[in-house]
Amino acid sequence: MGKTLLCGCEDVSLEEVHRAFAAGHRDMESVKRYTGFGTGPCQGKSCLTLVARELLRLGATPGEIAPFTARPPREPTPLSTLAALDPATLPVGAEGIPPEAPPSPPGPAALQPLPARAEVVIIGGGILGLSLAYELARRGRSDVLVLDQSYLNAGASGRNGGGVRAQWSTPEMVKLALRSLALCRRFAVDLGINVWFRPGGYLFLAPDRAQVARLERNAALHVRHGMRTRLLTPNQALEVVPHLDPSRFVAASWNPDDGVVFPWPFLWGYATQAEALGVKVRTFARVTGLRREGARLSHVETDRGLVACDLVINAAGAWSKQVAALAGVATPNRPTRHEILVGEPLEPFLDPLVSLLGTGLYFSQSQRGELVGGMGDPDEPEGVSQGSSLRFLARFARAATQLMPRLGGVKVVRQWAGCYDVTPDNNPILGPAGYANFHQLHGFVGHGFMMAPAMAELYADWLTGRGKHELFDRFSLARFSRQGAAVGEDFIIG
Amino acid sequence: MPRLSDPRFTPDCTIVVDGRAVPARAGEPIATALLSAGRPLLARSHKYHRPRGPFCLAGSCQSCLVRVGGQPNVRACRTACAEGLVVETQHALPTAGHDLLGLIDLATPDGLDHHHLGTSSVLLNRAVVAFSRRLAGLGRLPDAACPPPATPREERFDALVIGAGPAGLGAAEVLAGGGCRVLLADSEPRAGGRLRCRLDLPGEPPLALASRVEGSLLATGGELMLDAAVLGLWLDGGAVLALVHQRGAAERLRLVRPARVLLCAGGTAVPAGIEDGDRPGILWGRGLAVALAEHGTVPGRRLAVLGCGVEAEALAARFTAAGMSVARLDSARRALGRARVRALDDGHGGQLPCDTVAVVQPPAPATDLARLLGAPVAFDASARAFAVLADAAGRTAVPGLFAAGEVTGAMDAAAALEAGRRAGEAARG
Repeated sequence: MGKTLLCGCEDVSLEEVHRAFAAGHRDMESVKRYTGFGTGPCQGKSCLTLVARELLRLGATPGEIAPFTARPPREPTPLSTLAALDPATLPVGAEGIPPEAPPSPPGPAALQPLPARAEVVIIGGGILGLSLAYELARRGRSDVLVLDQSYLNAGASGRNGGGVRAQWSTPEMVKLALRSLALCRRFAVDLGINVWFRPGGYLFLAPDRAQVARLERNAALHVRHGMRTRLLTPNQALEVVPHLDPSRFVAASWNPDDGVVFPWPFLWGYATQAEALGVKVRTFARVTGLRREGARLSHVETDRGLVACDLVINAAGAWSKQVAALAGVATPNRPTRHEILVGEPLEPFLDPLVSLLGTGLYFSQSQRGELVGGMGDPDEPEGVSQGSSLRFLARFARAATQLMPRLGGVKVVRQWAGCYDVTPDNNPILGPAGYANFHQLHGFVGHGFMMAPAMAELYADWLTGRGKHELFDRFSLARFSRQGAAVGEDFIIG
Repeated sequence: MPRLSDPRFTPDCTIVVDGRAVPARAGEPIATALLSAGRPLLARSHKYHRPRGPFCLAGSCQSCLVRVGGQPNVRACRTACAEGLVVETQHALPTAGHDLLGLIDLATPDGLDHHHLGTSSVLLNRAVVAFSRRLAGLGRLPDAACPPPATPREERFDALVIGAGPAGLGAAEVLAGGGCRVLLADSEPRAGGRLRCRLDLPGEPPLALASRVEGSLLATGGELMLDAAVLGLWLDGGAVLALVHQRGAAERLRLVRPARVLLCAGGTAVPAGIEDGDRPGILWGRGLAVALAEHGTVPGRRLAVLGCGVEAEALAARFTAAGMSVARLDSARRALGRARVRALDDGHGGQLPCDTVAVVQPPAPATDLARLLGAPVAFDASARAFAVLADAAGRTAVPGLFAAGEVTGAMDAAAALEAGRRAGEAARG
């Protein structure tokens, strides 16, 4: 028996595309993510046509076979080459960046209808929404409908670097993250799908004494919580990551138990298991309004019909501010674009995720061997945009090759962007707001992905009468109108 | 007979492939030198460790990645030979010819379901993650990074024409004739696009068109840039910003702000799409034709031309004249052979022995740069491929972006030339 390969870069066979389609991954973006086709060095130049032909044969609609988003650079390009660009001369965010076109809807024939009523409607099929749906269903509350405006993984949950760390600066975040790490270790077994959790550790590098003071404070907190965090000298850090330039930092913080996961299967795992328990997950359903009845929300209006409900959860990530506004609720979130790139697959050379404090630079090596790295841009304006910029390629290339010169020869294969859902104190917004039955689950400032597994357990406990964690009072929307209520989280990276 | 006997093609240097000397002509791609040496096998594939060799010979398919001079994942079809060049095959234990990990392919006839591998227990899962990590990656970290080229400053051109095939040449000539300063960029080492196949198809313009157009470009301050990949097109306040990468010894980046962009990038090679159609020795017809014309590459003794139409017939005639035994087949069900194709199964009980296959079918329009700017593309049901949507004058839905030639759908070279001229006129305004 031979194989008919449709994608030669990633060795994706005809049978694998058939399996993806049968498992409900019908549109091109989803088939790409589930099979990996088009994610290799050629970026779909050879395989897109073959896969489109095969999907049509299987019964996909013209909307479903629309090509996946093209992403620069068009050819794998070494970081050292891109480092020639001067970021200061390149356009910054907003008007410079064309918004990434939304994927074309599959067409009504391919979509399952929405129910007329659901006890709980969760707006947003990202990891927060899906993990909550799963945890609610596990606690017996399965009349839950999850709505997403696009395919699963179209938002930040499918666009992040997959880092999961417990090195935080406040006890609340440390505890949540430790629980999430524990869940990540078991995720593949509990949810039945590999997320390739790899505890390669997190190495934070402090470029100056002020940053060292932060690391020292945090390390003391971590040790109190039983973590193995320790401070390293630059030479000790070189034992963890041999190719770093030790002149670029004065100390490092190292926790070998932090790690990285592969983000996409997290969503598929939660969605599949939640559906097995009775939850309905509907993609390509955009929420257009929230109908009020007195002091409650009564219906969710969508472009595919009206859904009556008892409880609405706003888990829309970067779009949560817009969703809250549909109910007349103002939230202080400032969605902000963050960019990331992936390099050619290479044999393992980098175990931990490395982050240079104060610069926004971070990078790791994925399970498949690709360099995955991002870098926040202080000049990035607020706004929901998932488009890619040339300026980011230049900034990342310069910063990464300065910190680790050997990376210069690594070729960039693809760049993309997602949004951090930023709040004034870098902490999430939880609990009801505006209406007793309109719950908020957003504002995680780029770390919602790693917090979601633990957060969903606490939230589901509360909503099913198993006790309310104090976090829900601490991180209510009302805190922003009080003085000095919550301690801000200052250990945001990227 | 590994090469045409012509003094232009006689080997004049030696490259070192996995420690063995291979004769080569300085300046020819590593891939053609190896094909001439009877070595279509270059590496093992990413997941299944299947034998892998060059396919498109045109820079797009990335199936010919090797380590060259300490740099991993270098395209053998895009890297020129020079005396003593050190080439290493990648991703095999121990060699591409005898790879123990090829067992992965044999053990997974229906493919690998990596999502559900080893999810039955935490311990097993940990082992699967650790084991697959050890197998990850193509190639090792580069030995050293090259120093960055000079920082580019913005340059303005009246037009950026992407692709110097018939459509791009037609567009560039019209624009230059109207006094426009044109940058004509092509990712290939020579201009001409498919005209470089030298198949002399009916009505096809001569390759000499390329040098004529280059002359008119220079006369209006324009340029023909070869070995130059347009890495991306970005929008900046409504205007296009293009990044062009000049590869090779004179590596540099150029940051171009063109007043208009004409996308004439043609198409990319489409794999055979048949069972075991990825076997080494199965190559893109146009790539083989260019290799024969420009490097005298005769890739084997027995060639099967898979496809039909005038292009397939002309290609068969060329390789017959070059001394290969050639047969043509409209379609095939599967390829036989492992480290190299040895026959095609026609699906009707017949087997056609061969050591090389030329895949001849319309290329897939190179829509990616248009998609970067949000230009609509559509699946053409008859060609069964996506193509950029453009009107008769080449206008796309994106202001300032024109498209002409095979990037808008299959057409012959004469039609592409005409489409390019029309787009040039429309863009000139």
